[in-house]
Amino acid sequence: VAARARAPASSARPPAWAASRRGFLRLAGSATALGALSQVRVAPVRADTAAPAGRFFDDGDTEILTQVMERIVDTGREDAPPLRETGAVATVDTLCLQLDPSISWPLPYLLRVFEWGPFFLDLHFSRFTRMSDAEKDASLRAWMNSRLELRRLAFLAVRNLCFVGFYSQEETWPLIDYKGPLL
Amino acid sequence: VIQDLLQRGGDLELRADVCVIGSGGGGAVAAAELAVAGRKVVVLEQGPHWTQAHMTQREEQMLPRLFEEAGMRQTVDGSIQVLQGRSVGGSTVHNLCYAFRTPPPILRVWREEHGLGELTEEALEPSLARVERHLKVKPIREDEVNVLNRRIRAGAQKLGYSGLVARHNREGCVQAGYCLLGCSYGAKQSMLVTYVPRADAAGARILTNARCEQIVAEGGRVRRVFARAVDVAGESRARVEVSAPVVVLAAGAVASPDLLLRSGLGGPAVGRHLHLHPSVLVAGFWEEPLHAYRGIPQSYYVDEFIDLERDPHSGYVLMPIAGFPALTATLLPGFGREHHAWMRQFSRLGGLLALLHDRSEGSVRSGSSLAQPEIRYALDESDAAQLTRGARHCAQVLFAAGARRVLVPYAPEPLVLESPAELAAVSARPVRQGAIPLSSTHPQSTCRMGRDPGTSVVGPFGEVHDCAGLFIADMSVFPTSLGAPPQITTAALADRTAHHILDRWNELAA
Repeated sequence: VAARARAPASSARPPAWAASRRGFLRLAGSATALGALSQVRVAPVRADTAAPAGRFFDDGDTEILTQVMERIVDTGREDAPPLRETGAVATVDTLCLQLDPSISWPLPYLLRVFEWGPFFLDLHFSRFTRMSDAEKDASLRAWMNSRLELRRLAFLAVRNLCFVGFYSQEETWPLIDYKGPLL
Repeated sequence: VIQDLLQRGGDLELRADVCVIGSGGGGAVAAAELAVAGRKVVVLEQGPHWTQAHMTQREEQMLPRLFEEAGMRQTVDGSIQVLQGRSVGGSTVHNLCYAFRTPPPILRVWREEHGLGELTEEALEPSLARVERHLKVKPIREDEVNVLNRRIRAGAQKLGYSGLVARHNREGCVQAGYCLLGCSYGAKQSMLVTYVPRADAAGARILTNARCEQIVAEGGRVRRVFARAVDVAGESRARVEVSAPVVVLAAGAVASPDLLLRSGLGGPAVGRHLHLHPSVLVAGFWEEPLHAYRGIPQSYYVDEFIDLERDPHSGYVLMPIAGFPALTATLLPGFGREHHAWMRQFSRLGGLLALLHDRSEGSVRSGSSLAQPEIRYALDESDAAQLTRGARHCAQVLFAAGARRVLVPYAPEPLVLESPAELAAVSARPVRQGAIPLSSTHPQSTCRMGRDPGTSVVGPFGEVHDCAGLFIADMSVFPTSLGAPPQITTAALADRTAHHILDRWNELAA
């Protein structure tokens, strides 16, 4: 994790890895990257006594995660807190930062496959982060209902991370009538 | 002395009488019994030491702290979630405290089909009694049965199904309901507050964040153990070598075979014969809020569908279960608004799971890292059919208990039942791995006990066939699926192994 390049990237600018479709396909389509998806599980924590400092996802990855999460946890309710105003994304980042590096390394690649999946898996000529909400939902459904087990598992890994991030926020508890910890 | 190897840093070379690997339901018992008897014990625990003060009742904090892979460890095909502990106290820190003795018909199978004539009820009795005393096992009182368990009991009784209110190992329980996330009140009599302090008080040295990497044997005898502390960036921060004439491996039914395989020990049966007690969860929705996550999560237990006297190799039990928001969300189908429509009913939700006494077998193999062992498991046809019947019975009992709607969480298209008249739909859609979430909290039998080194890993007292002085004391030694919650059996077998080591001490230490 520490060795991964973490060049700050503006969310409005395509990240460096997105330079070309061919370049991306070389990266994410490689046996290593896709093979890694089968290893994506959400989390062995390292030996720790406190939450680690720093960030797991860079700005580009964080923007993809945020937009994926916005659709995954969409409640359709006006009284729901806007995702970006909660700590949900940061909670997922903290969780991932605690993963064993031997397991966590594919997660950024997985997000990039989500970003470019519509382009090269579903022949939809747009990146995830540039789609409308309806298109994003259709893209996520394609992951969820895929005949490829690997793709369905990858979706579940991301979906579950999003749910853990979102429903651990106190602001979401009134939405589901959860009374919260007693401490 | 409980010491964090990561914080300490540097290298350590230790000599001990006994090195115990793991401080969970088996390791802590062995460590305490041996330390109290005067042996010099070093315990290597791969996880941190979380105390009562760290139990925050918050999922995002406690799942990573208490569970392997934050509670999302899976079989390699992703079809079964495998919940295992990863801190001082192991899975006893997050378990739900059912305290069942080893079923006599299972002991009979172990004796008659696995050559373990020593495993009689009489022989195990002293260990069972000691363990139950230290864990303060007692019946759950009627006023401690929570709303969900009461309703499930009423539903089962209405249908004429047999069941019981179990015993548990809690003392002074305030019935907050957060047992799964660790007890904030010190009421759960887990290893963390029973055997670990007992071992500590008797002088055992407990090193946390010490992940074992290799057990070394020479001349057919165990000699030493190597462990490391690794920081969040994957860098090695400390290394420890423990030389000891006796090593007790109690890392659980996934990590124990992984470590044996990495060490080239244990013979051809290591990692095979995995049983999981796989379970399928069915959700019921009531008209009014239950807040089923409050109170003791599991007290009642439907045993109508398991008769070990008649058939000791199959059957299933039904157990009530309620979750917290994040875990519940991961079990409900879909995403977005469709998913949230289910989550809106969170306070009216109560679950019932069918836990299978499985005949199917899987395996554990070493993966690309110690953090990632490969767990493979395939339900055979008979077990899949049993789980289908189990799911149907769950739905039936939930309706009888007053649920207005029942969800069988097939993915991606769940099965929603609006009345008992629709129960046939469950049978029409058989449980299949990958098509419905399955989970396991009881992996077992991967270093099973037996006589034949070709088909088992340890002998009748837990000693590894091909390595003198190396004992195993966790659920991996069960010769078959136990068919009941394993906490007491695990601890009793570990106690028995520890006393066997003491009986043979002069020979083993020579």
